[in-house]
Amino acid sequence: MTASIRLSDSLKNLLGSEGLFTIEAGHSVREAIVSLGINPDLVAVVSVGDEMQSKDYLIQEGDTVRLLAVIGGG
Amino acid sequence: MNGYAGKILRVNLTTGTFTKEPTPADVARDFIGGRGFGIYFLLKEVPKGADPLGPENKLIISSGPISGMMIPGGGKCDWTTKAPLTGGYAGASMGGHFTAEMRYAGLDSIILEGISPKPVYLFIDNDRIELRDASGLWGKATFEVEKQFKEKLGEEYQIATIGPGGENMVSYACINHDYGRQAGRGGVGAVMGSKKVKAIVLHGTKSIPVADMQAYRKAGMALYKACKDAEGLKEWIRYGTTTVVDWCNQVGALPTRNFSAGSFEGAEGIYGKTMREKIVITDKGCFGCPSPCGKYSRSKKYNSYVEGPEYETIGLMGSNLGIDDIEVVAQANLLCDDLGIDTISAGNSIGWAMECYQKGIFTKKDTDGLDLKFGNVEAIFTLIGKIARKEGFGVLLGEGVKRASKKIGQGTEKFAIHVKGMEQSAYATHNATAMLLAYMTCDVGAHHNRSWAITYDLQVGRDLVVPEKVARVIWLQNFRPMFDVIGGCRLQWVELSIDRDLYVPALEAITGIHRSWEDLEKVGDRIWNMTRMFWARENDGFGREWDLPPARFYEDAPTTGATKGQITKLEDVNRLLDMYYEQRGWDSNGLPTLETIENLGLEAVVA
Ligand code: SF4
Repeated sequence: MTASIRLSDSLKNLLGSEGLFTIEAGHSVREAIVSLGINPDLVAVVSVGDEMQSKDYLIQEGDTVRLLAVIGGG
Repeated sequence: MNGYAGKILRVNLTTGTFTKEPTPADVARDFIGGRGFGIYFLLKEVPKGADPLGPENKLIISSGPISGMMIPGGGKCDWTTKAPLTGGYAGASMGGHFTAEMRYAGLDSIILEGISPKPVYLFIDNDRIELRDASGLWGKATFEVEKQFKEKLGEEYQIATIGPGGENMVSYACINHDYGRQAGRGGVGAVMGSKKVKAIVLHGTKSIPVADMQAYRKAGMALYKACKDAEGLKEWIRYGTTTVVDWCNQVGALPTRNFSAGSFEGAEGIYGKTMREKIVITDKGCFGCPSPCGKYSRSKKYNSYVEGPEYETIGLMGSNLGIDDIEVVAQANLLCDDLGIDTISAGNSIGWAMECYQKGIFTKKDTDGLDLKFGNVEAIFTLIGKIARKEGFGVLLGEGVKRASKKIGQGTEKFAIHVKGMEQSAYATHNATAMLLAYMTCDVGAHHNRSWAITYDLQVGRDLVVPEKVARVIWLQNFRPMFDVIGGCRLQWVELSIDRDLYVPALEAITGIHRSWEDLEKVGDRIWNMTRMFWARENDGFGREWDLPPARFYEDAPTTGATKGQITKLEDVNRLLDMYYEQRGWDSNGLPTLETIENLGLEAVVA
C-alpha cells in the first residue's frame, strides 16, 4: 500500500531536499507532508493525476502526489 | 548594435511629425532596455512638475534585447510614464506579441510626445509610419477596436489600444493588447488617452542582429529544455496564476472584503480548480512562451468569452468584493478589459466604496442609488461602467482610493488600501512582514511584481522583523525587475524554478556583452534608485511618510480567517523601514544619499 510524493523544483529548491519519496497510502496529504518534515504552509499546490486536490485528500495506493511551492507569486 | 533593432521612434503628436534616432549605445550598455530605457528617458526628458496628462509628459514604450527572440517569455514590453494615478513613476509590463512585432519593425522604443489635436492611431509597417485619423474609433471599447484592425489589416498586425477608460483619462486606465493582455497599472492608458492616441498598430519583417548565432541557438534551446523538463510545468499550464487562490486563502493572504481579512468563506467558488472545471476552454500564451499561463474562458451564465481571470483579478474582483462565483469574476474582468481600466485598482476601489457603504458613510444618495453591499453583482458591473465612463459616482472611484478617501474623509483613509496612491494588488499583508515591506517600498506603489516574499515570510517566520528579511526584499527588487529590463517574462524563473544562470549565455550571445547576474543586479539597483529619485523630484515632501502601509495592516486585525487577531505593529513597520533605508544606502527619510548616488555612478543621470 504505497504511493509516491514528488516535489516540484520550486519546493526542492526551497527546502534543499530530495525530490521523490515513497510513503504509505491511506493518510491525508497534510499528514504525509508533516511526516516528511515539511511545513504544510509552504506547499501551495497538491496535484494528483491532472487534478488539484486539497491537503485533506486521502492518498490512495499507487498515487503520485505532486507538491508545488510558490516562490514568486506572479 | 547586436541585440537591438537599432532605432528609437519619437512621435511628436502636437506637430504630427516623426523622428527616428539610433538607439544610443551608451544607454544600451548602462540600462540595457525595457524599464531601464523607460526610467532613463523619463528622468532626462520629462520636466519636473509636468502634468501627467499634459503635453510635457511622455509615454515611453520599450523592448529589451530578448524581446522577439527565441527565448522563453521574450514577449514583454515596458510602458513608462509619469503616473496620473500616483504622480510618481509608472512602469507597466505588457505581454503578448506587441514587443516582438515592434522590434521586427526596427524599433527598440517608441516615445509618444505632446498631444494630438484630434484622435489618431499610430500605424507602423516597417518604415512606413503614419498618424491616421481615429475619430471613427473614439468611444469604442477595446475588443471591438482590435477586431476591426485585425479584420481590416490582417492577423499579423499587433495592436495596443485604449478603451473609454483611457479616453476619459480615468486615473487607472490601462492599455489592452491581444484581447487580454494589458499594460495595466498606474494609469498608462490615461496618458495615451490624454495624447488622443486611440491605438498603436504595428507590423514588421526585419531581423535583429545577433552577436553569435550558434551560441544564441544553443542558449535558447537550453532555456526551452529547462522549461520543458521542469517539475510543475503541467500544473502551471493547467491553472496558471490561479494555482495560488486556495493557498492564499489558507495562509490568510487572499484579500477579503476590502482587505479586512485574508481568508474568504466563499473561496472555493473562485479556486483555480473551480475555474478550470467551470469556465476554462483553452490556454493562451505570449510570444514564444513554453508555459502559457493565460486561460481563455467562457461564461455560460453571461454568454461571454474572456482571457482570464488570473489571480490578481480573482482576488480583487472576487473575495475582495465578497464574490464567490468565478463566472461573476470573469464577467467583471471582461468589462474592465473591454472598457480599458485596471482590474486591480478597480476592484480595490470598489471594495473601499463597499466598506464605506457598510459603515454608513455612503448611502444610496451618494452611490447613484446603487445598493453597494459586498457581494452585489449588479452593483459591481454597473460601477465598472460608471468608472470607465466617468459617470456619477464612478467619477470619485476613478480617482483611486487615495484621492477619493482624502475627499470623503471621515476616517475612510484608514481603510484605503494603497501605497503612494496605487491600490494594493491581491495579497493581504496583515502578518507577512517581508511582503508588507515589498509593497511599502515598491517603486510604482503597492504592486507585487517587483518583490514577492510571502513564502519566505512563512518559511522564516511571518512576523519576524530582521535584517535578513529586508535584504531578501532588496535582492528581489534588484533582480526580478531585470526581466522587465531585458524584455522577458519572469514567470519561467518564478514559477518553474528554471536556473536563472541560463539567461546569462543567452543575453551574451544576443548582445555580445557578458553580464553575470551580479552585473545585472547592479543595473537593477541603479534603476531602483533612479525611480526613487524620480518620485522625490516630482513630489514635494516625498519621503518616509510615503512608504507607510495602509493603517489597516497595523491597526485593524482581521476578526476571521487564518490571520485572525494578527497584525504588524507600527513600531515594526518603522523598524523595517529603518533597516531598508540603511541597507539601500538611503537617509532616514528614505532618500538616496550623495554617497549612494556616486557609488552607483548616477550623478549625471539625476543631476
Ligand atoms: S508565463 Fe504567462 S505571462 Fe509569461 S510569457 Fe508565458 S503566457 Fe506570458
